[in-house]
Amino acid sequence: MRELTAEDTSLLELVDRLLNKGVVLAGEATISVAGVDLIYLGLNVVLAAVETIETSQERRAS
Amino acid sequence: MTLLAHAIAAAPPASISPEGLRGRPLSWSEAGGLGLWSTDWAPDIKLERPDALAHHRLVERICAAQPCLPVRFGTAFATSDEARASLDKRAAGLRAALTRVAGKSELALTLLWANLGGSAPHPPSMPEVDGPGRRYMEARRAEHAAREARRARSESLVERVVADLAIERQLVWHETCTSEDVAVSLAVLVPTEQALERKSELARIAARFTDVVPVVNGPWPPYTFARVE
Repeated sequence: MRELTAEDTSLLELVDRLLNKGVVLAGEATISVAGVDLIYLGLNVVLAAVETIETSQERRAS
Repeated sequence: MTLLAHAIAAAPPASISPEGLRGRPLSWSEAGGLGLWSTDWAPDIKLERPDALAHHRLVERICAAQPCLPVRFGTAFATSDEARASLDKRAAGLRAALTRVAGKSELALTLLWANLGGSAPHPPSMPEVDGPGRRYMEARRAEHAAREARRARSESLVERVVADLAIERQLVWHETCTSEDVAVSLAVLVPTEQALERKSELARIAARFTDVVPVVNGPWPPYTFARVE
């Protein structure tokens, strides 16, 4: 497993706040809309960003 | 019409661009002297990855226009009446939280172990032992000691940051050792007009630690401090 970079960390911290912090309105909050699992969504946001970082690094190296 | 919630603010609403996520209308539902900013959504539209970050940018825009409490991403209401009823039910707590974060922003500090194989605190070296059972138990003991050493070091890092930043405890939230890489995840609530100055200060303080790599983020809307008692 590779270590977290600063970019990964920033995105993880932000996604953690979006999905796990903020006001929860009692009794009305949902953790998904239209059947999307937000934990899965969060992971995908992170993975997508990591892919973007890696692609741009490869582009710079070539 | 579903409402996808973004932020709660005091009435009356600030004048902001009426554009919500994906260019859909941004609406305001008011109750108990408070209002909820949300995007008019349709139940058949699935949220996608960019929507999470678009929600963040929208909350930033709302917080720049008026003090607001970010709502957890993915919170939805079937109707405006449901949204208003939810606000009304918790109006006192929401107003108190709004007062607490008004004019303030969140800074985030993450401390990553500099070298997982090297710099993270390790227990004393393991003595030579005989037999697989004894070796297993000694290995378990060593792992436990390593975890405890990392946790103790992480807590001492938090104490140093809080002391050097000279900030009240109630304006700091933290967790330690949330994963193999992360020693500390910390958030501080600071006056928005001082946020960039405090961010530099936070970076300077964290840069003194030799066993961790600091990552400083923000200023962000006060996500971590938007809890309602």
